[in-house]
Amino acid sequence: MKLGELTRRVFSFREPSPLTKQSATVALFLVALVLLIVVPELKFQSTSLVFAGTAGILVATVLAILCTFVTSITHLAILIPIIDLLSIGMFRTGAGDSGVLFGALLILPVVWLASENGRRWIVVAAIGTSIALLMPYIFEGEAPGTASEWLRGIFTPIVFAVAGAIINELSSQSRAQLVSIRRLAEEREVMLRGAVDYTERLRENEEALRAADRLTRSVLDAVTEQSVMGSDVTGLIDVWNPGAERMLGLAPNEVQGKRYVSEFHISTELQQRSKELNYPPGETVLNPGFSALVESARLGRPEVRHWSYVRSDGSVISVEVAVTRRVDETGATVGYIFVATDVTQALEVSRLKDEFVGLISHELRTPLSSILGYLELMSDDDENPLSEEQLQYLGVAERNAHRLLRLVGDLLFTAQVGSSSFTLDTTSVDVAPVVKASLESAEPNAAAAGVSLVVDVGNDPIIVRGDPQRLGQACDNLISNAIKFTPRGGVVTVSARATNSRVIVTVADTGMGIPAAELDQLFERFFRASTATRAAVPGVGLGLSITKAIVVAHEGELDVESEVGVGTSFIMRLPRETA
Amino acid sequence: MSDETPARVVVADDDADIRALVAIAVRRAGIKLVADVATGDAALTAIREHQPDMVILDVSMPGMTGLEVTREIRADSTLAGIRVFLLSAGVTEAAMQAGMDAGADEYLIKPFSPRELATRISDALAAWSAE
Repeated sequence: MKLGELTRRVFSFREPSPLTKQSATVALFLVALVLLIVVPELKFQSTSLVFAGTAGILVATVLAILCTFVTSITHLAILIPIIDLLSIGMFRTGAGDSGVLFGALLILPVVWLASENGRRWIVVAAIGTSIALLMPYIFEGEAPGTASEWLRGIFTPIVFAVAGAIINELSSQSRAQLVSIRRLAEEREVMLRGAVDYTERLRENEEALRAADRLTRSVLDAVTEQSVMGSDVTGLIDVWNPGAERMLGLAPNEVQGKRYVSEFHISTELQQRSKELNYPPGETVLNPGFSALVESARLGRPEVRHWSYVRSDGSVISVEVAVTRRVDETGATVGYIFVATDVTQALEVSRLKDEFVGLISHELRTPLSSILGYLELMSDDDENPLSEEQLQYLGVAERNAHRLLRLVGDLLFTAQVGSSSFTLDTTSVDVAPVVKASLESAEPNAAAAGVSLVVDVGNDPIIVRGDPQRLGQACDNLISNAIKFTPRGGVVTVSARATNSRVIVTVADTGMGIPAAELDQLFERFFRASTATRAAVPGVGLGLSITKAIVVAHEGELDVESEVGVGTSFIMRLPRETA
Repeated sequence: MSDETPARVVVADDDADIRALVAIAVRRAGIKLVADVATGDAALTAIREHQPDMVILDVSMPGMTGLEVTREIRADSTLAGIRVFLLSAGVTEAAMQAGMDAGADEYLIKPFSPRELATRISDALAAWSAE
């Protein structure tokens, strides 16, 4: 126990400890004892009773000490004033005639008892006082002789009892007030604690909000290559990041709260979009075309679309704009966010790439035209027919020229897929004849390679929505691949069947197979399986990437299953067209 | 066109080997080559000079392209009725569509078979005669 705590427990006047209460009695008792010893006129009548009284006070004091420090026995503290009363009674009796002087000492334990909670202690105090005052008669074994002697043993206790009752009442009121004050203090403390907690929470929330705001601001500021605009539901701009400033040439204070998003668009583009949406242009008078701009986002579908932005100097840039909705805590739309990327350069690069591919294609096809054309003239020359051997040589040259031509075609197609300029000429296609035609054209190659072709296609039409030429190209690629990778004596099986929602074309071979670790890369451009390069199978690795692109463009899937040394199956799944 | 007078054709291609190849196909189709030139401008001059029944134009040529020459022919009423064959290494649908939009009657992709070209020319002339 710390010293401060010890001092508070012993000497507190608000909640006096038994030792504090007892200390007054002890002090005055000691004064009385000293006076009895020192003042010659004061005589002892019985030294043993004086000792007994002193011992009683000592016992009471020890008990007061114990009750002060041992909390489990504090309920015994009430014995202390009782012991005091009896001890003072004995001391007073021992002092004989002089004892009358010390009767006043009784007031201290009486006050102690009277201040305890409960009226019964007034009675105890009165009885105790009465016993103490009548003690000389008790020890002498005689009853008081005179009425005044009786009255001393009764009247004084009655006076003490009355005083005790007053004290008891005052104490009781004081205790009630104390309880009330304590309760109020506790309530105040609880409220104060609540207020402090609330303030703390407010402070934390405010700090979190500030941090979130700082984060949002720093993210917006960090986006310098994209413009980020925010608007309310009418299109009035309230967010304008440095990217927007850089892209469109206007500072935030020139735009926020003053300009509308649609002002940075070309009105004909907005009108065109409105027409596509079959939507009357302009939701409000102030921002014509804005509705067309946010139509998709308004319906909860974020959208990325190609638009043109008009810069502050009047120049126009091509942008890809992602539009998303801003919502409040109830989920209601309160505005929109427009994140735009300048694609002017990307479009130019794409155009140059297309131009380059076109040029290369042209430059390669023109000499091939001469090669193939003149080879044909030579083999067709009826006037000067060639020998069998010469025709065979020409055949080799022609086959390789066609191979080169296919490669040029594949490169061009790959470039078209890469630049998204590849389109399908779709119609209702019966897949069965497409597959059969591919098999038929592959027959000579299969025969030359000693590979058997097995067809498993029924007679019922299997209809998909697609481009017959491209689908034929996909089948050609898969079948010619299968023949290339199957050793002499092997079998290539091509099947086509329809399920409820899909058309499934499978090309399975009994070839060299593809290692499992390479299956993921199989559809990448220019990838060649290790088994293919080891076996020196010719090719550049474009066929499967092209086939995949064709299947994907038909909203289908191309899968592969393979086992090295056993064979490979390619499974093309296309959405079935239902009547 | 009568059976006695062979149809007349102007061929334009910047590649001399291709011009020679086309010339052979033209001969095999039994028509008369009145001019073979290497540029679009020369082609237009030759067309105006010779008033041929047919022209076979490469699309990509220095100066005027085959498409531009075709448009000029279609815009010139004095050249009405000339059959225009375009030859091109452009294999995309967009390229073909551009050729047909310019006013070509046929669009042939390089490389072409001389045998097939001769057949196409003969077929086109036969259809023309039947009109």
